[in-house]
Amino acid sequence: MIEANNLYVSFGSNHVLRGLSVHIGDNETFVIAGRSGIGKTVLLRCLAGLLKPDSGNIYIDGEEVTNATKETLLRIRKKIGMLLQQGALFDSMNVYENVAFPLLYHKTFSKAEIDKKVDKYLEVVEMDMYRDLYPKELSGGMKRKVALARAMILEPNYLFYDEPTSGLDPSSAGIVESMIIKLKKEIHITSLIVTHDIELTRYVGDKIALMAEGKITTIESGEEIAAKKSVIYEHFIKMRERMHEVNGT
Amino acid sequence: MQSKSDGEHLARSILHTYRNFFYWVVRPPFPFREIALQFVRTMLEAFITISVGSVVMGMFIAWIGGWYGSLYGALSYIGPAATFGIIHEFTIMLVGMLYACRIGTAFTVEIGSMAMSGQLDAQRMMAVEPVQYIVIPRVIASVFTILFLLGISHGVAILSTMVFLQLWFGISHEVILENAFVFLKSPVLNQSFIRVAIMGFFVSLNACALGYYFSGGAIELGRTATKSIVINFIVVLVIDLLTGMFMAIFL
Repeated sequence: MIEANNLYVSFGSNHVLRGLSVHIGDNETFVIAGRSGIGKTVLLRCLAGLLKPDSGNIYIDGEEVTNATKETLLRIRKKIGMLLQQGALFDSMNVYENVAFPLLYHKTFSKAEIDKKVDKYLEVVEMDMYRDLYPKELSGGMKRKVALARAMILEPNYLFYDEPTSGLDPSSAGIVESMIIKLKKEIHITSLIVTHDIELTRYVGDKIALMAEGKITTIESGEEIAAKKSVIYEHFIKMRERMHEVNGT
Repeated sequence: MQSKSDGEHLARSILHTYRNFFYWVVRPPFPFREIALQFVRTMLEAFITISVGSVVMGMFIAWIGGWYGSLYGALSYIGPAATFGIIHEFTIMLVGMLYACRIGTAFTVEIGSMAMSGQLDAQRMMAVEPVQYIVIPRVIASVFTILFLLGISHGVAILSTMVFLQLWFGISHEVILENAFVFLKSPVLNQSFIRVAIMGFFVSLNACALGYYFSGGAIELGRTATKSIVINFIVVLVIDLLTGMFMAIFL
């Protein structure tokens, strides 16, 4: 269970999070939607302990993240897998080495066990035939899939996705989308997705929250969004129409 | 969070990295494999630069020594003066500065681009502490690499001086070698290695710090690389001065 209470984060005079609170239950896929630059990634970084909020508290499985020591943070992060924007694969390693990296580093498994685990997760993301390729030889969608396998290899309790479909063409975005759905069905872990892609929220979310003005303003179910009769869906449509009006297009 | 000035950010970045280095260096897992990889990599990358620099420095010393030695009839002093100068001072400064340029900047840009593309965050999210995996191996490897590079530089610079004194001024290597090592006691040689190891430590740690706390885009990364060279050049000069004075007075 993830719980964030009254989070405030500012960068100089830019107040990004303004008293944001959120509660994410076990085994649910929670999507936070909002326009670009609203602070979704900042929230995700706070939840993962990569950024310390100015005030407020975050708890993951009852352990406080905000004031955790360096060792405690490392332990908490073993429970979290994170798919960063653009995948963030290591350029100097091939697909196999990228996915095996956390296991090799933590030295908790034998070479044979590591091979088996890497094969398993590369198969899950349908990248097992590309294990010898380097990141520069992969498309954007393939990079995300490898990054997803790497995020899952430590078998975390939570999976965080930071804009998993941003910058991808519709077919690559579709591949990532179906991968998230496949994981949701096959491995029942708690997922948190931040995105500005309203189509993605329709397909994958159990709960969808709208983030605006540094807070969560609305929470709806996946069904409400899918039926396109929701406040969040309306918000995105109106936002797009307003931009057309402003630009006279 | 308050926005910080450039200088304040720089000072904080370097101090945080020093603190984190000493915090993590004594905690497992110890990155032996990464240290070995970085040692080989830094040796390969810096070897040619240092060798070429040492040849040119030998040429420079041969020219100055040969020209003024002939002018003032002091050719017999060239051998001892050149070897003493090379080992006591010139190669230390040369290796320190070239290491800062060739390897220090590479560290800054490499780690900076890792920070820019989210690779450091990705490591943190895999419960891997980037200071342990990225910074510590580079710094420890640098301390050893720079010792080997200094040894190479000593040899190449002395050889280059002898060759060019013979080529340009016809001074045979027997004359040069006759008294070449008269002032060269083992403490001078040992001190040169200690001084350059100190440089290797600070240069590599500063370079890593600048990359580690980097934020921004391509233009900022270029500026940070320039900062890395400038800061490390000054650091090399200061360490050279202070360690030289300290060792002359106390050792």
